[in-house]
Amino acid sequence: MAGSLSGLRRLYLIFYNWIVFFGWFQVFYFGVKTLKESGYEYVYDAVEKPLIFAQTAAFLEILHSLAGLVRSPISATLPQISSRLYVTWGILWSFPEVRSHILVSSLVISWSITEIIRYSYFGIREAFGSAPSWLLWLRYSTFLLLYPIGITSEVGLIYNALPYMKESGKYSVRMPNKWNLSFDYYYAAFVCLAIYLPGFSHLYSYMLGQRKKALSEPKKHRTETD
Amino acid sequence: MKVLVVTRSGKELIKGGLELNDSATVADLQEAIHKRTRKYYPSRQRLTLPIQPGSKERPTVLHYQKSLNEYTKGSTGELTVVFKDLGPQVKYSTLFFFEYLGPLLLYPIFYYFPVYKYFGYKEERVIHPVQTYALYYWCFHYFKRIMETFFVHRFSHATSPISNVFRNCAYYWSFGAFIAYFVNHPLYTPVSDLQMKIGFGFGIVCQVANLYCHLLLRNLRSPSGNGGYQIPRGFLFNIVTCANYTTEIYQWLGFNFATQTVAGYIFMIVAASIMTNWALGKHRRLKKLFDGKEGRPKYPRRWVILPPFL
Repeated sequence: MAGSLSGLRRLYLIFYNWIVFFGWFQVFYFGVKTLKESGYEYVYDAVEKPLIFAQTAAFLEILHSLAGLVRSPISATLPQISSRLYVTWGILWSFPEVRSHILVSSLVISWSITEIIRYSYFGIREAFGSAPSWLLWLRYSTFLLLYPIGITSEVGLIYNALPYMKESGKYSVRMPNKWNLSFDYYYAAFVCLAIYLPGFSHLYSYMLGQRKKALSEPKKHRTETD
Repeated sequence: MKVLVVTRSGKELIKGGLELNDSATVADLQEAIHKRTRKYYPSRQRLTLPIQPGSKERPTVLHYQKSLNEYTKGSTGELTVVFKDLGPQVKYSTLFFFEYLGPLLLYPIFYYFPVYKYFGYKEERVIHPVQTYALYYWCFHYFKRIMETFFVHRFSHATSPISNVFRNCAYYWSFGAFIAYFVNHPLYTPVSDLQMKIGFGFGIVCQVANLYCHLLLRNLRSPSGNGGYQIPRGFLFNIVTCANYTTEIYQWLGFNFATQTVAGYIFMIVAASIMTNWALGKHRRLKKLFDGKEGRPKYPRRWVILPPFL
């Protein structure tokens, strides 16, 4: 029984990782192609569908972590994925005015490279039990440059969306109402921006720790590192 | 008796160890450490027996009332203890006082003072009766909590790390301001008169029941605060393991039913989830301890915290 459950878990994770990998590969391919051919203003339109698919599918990672399917802690998974979902749905999808910004290109490319490496690493590791050392190195090294680029792009896009949030009043709830609730999406964005700095340092230091652990372990243990 | 005091890294805390008489207790050892180090007063110290490197088992914590002889292996007159600094400590009564003082002072500010002018509401505020009753209810609740802290509760641990003061105050003070902002808002929509009366009536009954639960729990402990676990009995404890938490959650339900704010319900859900976590832990411990074997009583079948759900 336990063996078949473990097999099912493995099969599911192989499918999940490769499907999402394919989504991110499309994002990267269409993003770079459009950037070269048409310019950064058109990148979002070219990648919208695969980006929304791949990024929303990442929500399942929170559930994987909670259910114990993977070893990565919820404290690392939750802030990263929720911030990305917020930028994907709450900023880019909700405010078309920011889609033509140059930061969309840096965001999409940094996200897609990171995720192509990450999902292929997990996909190979789940399928074959271990991943090649060069992929392991990429998995635990590219973030050093790509995380700061990605985070800067996210913060920049939220900041650029602020005037449109204020103007449109989108997603805001005003009193009076039966449940005595008011919510201002514009001010909530400031709270999100305030969380970014401590959130980034927490995530970055966690990843540095993971890198040290993963790259210093002998080969036979490498398959166990998340 | 010679006692070697080492840190978790294996370094000697007190060079050459300490010489204590053979009848010395753990409390005497803690005092001796304090005398030599000055900084580490007894409540700041956690002393454990050393464990084998790489061992998964949890170290044995030395209880301050026990004799050191109980922890020596064999007849050797030497003992090695591992010292951990718990950091600056505060009395539990101090911690509770400050965490409850915040909501008690913050809430009336939103009711009595023109704070909403600073949020852009210029016109005169109409105060509904429910807002006045909510103020009385809220202040009574936190005043009751402070009084219980000083005159009812007996604490199993004398102190708490000072960092908990900041964490707990942040939790209570921010939620206090959050709820007060919406309940006292100039654009607040009151519920019907009947709903208000049912909510506050039910809430007051639960608050009185909560006080009675605390008095019952007080009698389970000796004045010094220890006495180990006992099966709580009487009143609601006959049906619920943590009746004190049950009444606490349901009195917030009464308050929220009467005031109807999303902020209040969020606070109730957060508080209920924290208390449920504690209750499950306590229920497990009591069931494990009172297993009905070797003359021990068997823990009766009870709800954990939230009848009729859990």
